[in-house]
Amino acid sequence: MTASRPASAAALRGPAPSVTTPRVLVVGSAEGLAESLARWAPEAEIHLEFAPDLPHGTRLLTHATWHLVLAVVDDHPEEELGWWVETLRALKGFPRLIGLVSHPSMGLAVRAERLGVQHLLKLPLQKDAFLSAVRRAQSSVEEVPVPLPMVAAEVVGQYALIGQSPAMLEVYGLIARVAASTATVLILGESGTGKEVVARAIQLNGPRANRPFVAVNCAAIPDNLLESELFGHEKGAFTGAVMTRVGRFEQASGGTLFLDEIADMSLPLQAKILRAIQEREVERVGGRQVIPVDVRLMAATNHDLRAAVASGRFREDLYYRLAVMTLRLPRLTERGDDLRLLMAHFARQFAERYGKQIDFISDRALELLQGHPWVGNVRELRNVIERAVIVADGGLLSVESLPDELRGAAPAATRGTLPLSLEEAEARHIARVLEHTGGQINAAAAILRIHRNTLARKMREYGI
Amino acid sequence: MGSDPVGEETTLPTGSGVAPPLRVEQALRLIPDVELLGPLRALLLASSRQDNQDVWASSAPYLTVGKRFVQAAELERRMPEALDRARQHLSLLYGAVITALEAEQRGETAAAVAALLEAGNHEELIGRPGQARAWYDAAQGLSEGLANRLPELSVLNRLGRLELEVGHYAAAARHYQRALALAEAAQAAGEAIDACQGLGAVAMEEGNLFGAQAWYQRGLQLAEREKDPLRSAKIQHQLALVALGRADLTRAGDYLDRAREGFERLGASLEMARAMNSQGQLDAALGRPHRTSGAYREALAWCRRSGGAPDLEVTIRLNLAELYLAAERVLEAEEEARRGEQLAIERSLTRRLVPIYLFLGRLRGGQGDDGGFVFFEKALELCRQLSVPPGEEGQAYHQYAMFREQLGQREEARALLERAGEILALLGEVPELKRVRAGLRRLSA
Repeated sequence: MTASRPASAAALRGPAPSVTTPRVLVVGSAEGLAESLARWAPEAEIHLEFAPDLPHGTRLLTHATWHLVLAVVDDHPEEELGWWVETLRALKGFPRLIGLVSHPSMGLAVRAERLGVQHLLKLPLQKDAFLSAVRRAQSSVEEVPVPLPMVAAEVVGQYALIGQSPAMLEVYGLIARVAASTATVLILGESGTGKEVVARAIQLNGPRANRPFVAVNCAAIPDNLLESELFGHEKGAFTGAVMTRVGRFEQASGGTLFLDEIADMSLPLQAKILRAIQEREVERVGGRQVIPVDVRLMAATNHDLRAAVASGRFREDLYYRLAVMTLRLPRLTERGDDLRLLMAHFARQFAERYGKQIDFISDRALELLQGHPWVGNVRELRNVIERAVIVADGGLLSVESLPDELRGAAPAATRGTLPLSLEEAEARHIARVLEHTGGQINAAAAILRIHRNTLARKMREYGI
Repeated sequence: MGSDPVGEETTLPTGSGVAPPLRVEQALRLIPDVELLGPLRALLLASSRQDNQDVWASSAPYLTVGKRFVQAAELERRMPEALDRARQHLSLLYGAVITALEAEQRGETAAAVAALLEAGNHEELIGRPGQARAWYDAAQGLSEGLANRLPELSVLNRLGRLELEVGHYAAAARHYQRALALAEAAQAAGEAIDACQGLGAVAMEEGNLFGAQAWYQRGLQLAEREKDPLRSAKIQHQLALVALGRADLTRAGDYLDRAREGFERLGASLEMARAMNSQGQLDAALGRPHRTSGAYREALAWCRRSGGAPDLEVTIRLNLAELYLAAERVLEAEEEARRGEQLAIERSLTRRLVPIYLFLGRLRGGQGDDGGFVFFEKALELCRQLSVPPGEEGQAYHQYAMFREQLGQREEARALLERAGEILALLGEVPELKRVRAGLRRLSA
């Protein structure tokens, strides 16, 4: 139980804390703060050190292991909290953060929580609030390890098809039917549902299994490059064309061309794709020669192509050319227990990559995963598990190893906080919807089914 | 084959019926290349954002600035910002002319030169080196007629800095040499120190580390004689970088310690941020990843304390990204580079997107992912649009060539290396050109 408060960061070396005493770093100053904390430290059973400002605080943080950081974030609270969360996440032991702010608002509290900030306390600091926050930060609700289930995967190149849910069993049946033909296939599904994996599975189970599979992501390639990427170009055809290049249609000849995110393509280019499909020939950009191509075309999108056709953003004739056979992939949340299988598969896959042995997940971590909305579907799950494996200590994926945004949404029991008031719940929900719409008030109001003026008023009220 | 629909098409919420936003690349095509619209173009980029629905799309790992979204309404809402910025800039320029005219009427030519230099400086700050040069040229013409050589000295040092920035190293060296000669004749120690620093920087850019060291040593002697602690610390920092370039890590550490002590004593937060960034590079060279990361984090904290230095922050974030990539922490590397990208876009530092996209391209190349080509293509497009110095453009082609070579596309790699060589040859025998030639020899073997 110690508290050291030298005048400057350079002299900040108090008596060494015992191995078990939590080390707490206080960064920044406020009237009477240091004196109060030093007085309360013995009761809180913590070792306290102080840094006058951000740079000196950062220096101390990187030179020792800390359990908790109390940061005064009065200037630009949200920006500073974001900065702290990012900094602490990169440190050994992932110290918890308590933000100290003179003028807290509900909006700030909600955003802080979503950032993964442990607590936000009001300045001047009250003893009870401080002691309670420190105790909560130290206490971790006991987590029970659950063994990872064994998974049978259908390997598709470097990918795998995993799942036993009725929705996926239906997809497997369709893959088998579609693979037998050479017709054009349109694969629909939200982002991250595995459209490319399914396209590869169709190819691998069909007559062109041993021929090239060429995938092009139409949304990733700048508009001005997409045409030359698909059809190739002659040397000097445009600035930067330093040599003749064979396009993807030619590369895929005899095999399969997979056009992902097809909706994100300009109308003139759609016309050229249609012509290539109809005529079975292409012309390189800047070239005069007509080159015959024989490709099986598969396309995918996460957009409503019919709506795009109706609004004139997608050619109707191309739509019907692509949608000869249509296959829709389910959302992860529609796949029931597949989530556990996928989670276990990714945990083992990444554990191998990062030289770890992961055999368990805690019940609370699993609960958080199962309660998450998974807007990014399997891709988001894969990303979350990769991050969790990287930070996991020992053979267990715990709540601690999950990213802040999942921990931020942890149930009250996990976070050791009181149940929410109606206002708090409303503020949190609004913040969450706004996050989903990228801050667009009109879109958020439509989802919440309230008038945009009402939403704007509530946002002002809650300080969002 | 008839239609075989199974299930309904996925319908994503289209929100409130508001017209869908435009991609930046679509929006930019609508704006003619008129100089007066420059601030609007900058605002368009700064106000663009990534669609939340894109975050988990398969294209997300490959998105570049052109794929972000803009809303006309958002642009309209923020248009007063752009107009205000343009008005402020014009007001400064017009004000500088009035000040210069008044000074000239009073017969105070030195004050007129200072006003013109101030205007040139404003042009440089908003990334218009060509316009800045016009102001400096006018200032130079005026200063050459003065018996007092100090105004001319200031002009020459400014011109040296400008030419250095745009990659005209020979011209920069000429200006600095003349500034040094005049400063020594006029016993103007401050200007002489600045000229030595400029000559050192030119030598560094040309890969002449011994030359750089000699110029910096000369500047340091002058600064210490003049008891100028800030300039002394700055030059010690430069000497640390020279030593780092020569892999003399002990000496680099000594210089850096002294520079840091000086900056911290003077409370020079921004210089401290730069020094901590260099400390990170030194720690990385010493193979101390934990300390490296700590130094970069501290550098970021000093940046914040200085009130924000977005350009430097982008550099530090890229260094952190490099550190993570070297440790095969790819997710964190990408995250850090994307933070740099966001900052560069928000703060209209479009040129800084070039190294960021080169990094992201290399990162994808390291994963054997040929989709990374979009980053190199975007970097090259930005090089052409922004007329970046040949050194930077040549390096972009060089890195693109290495990416193609890594994927086994030797012919493309060779064509790109040849183009890199053509561009770099404009700079003389710089080290990068030697590396390009070595690459060409390797591909021909």
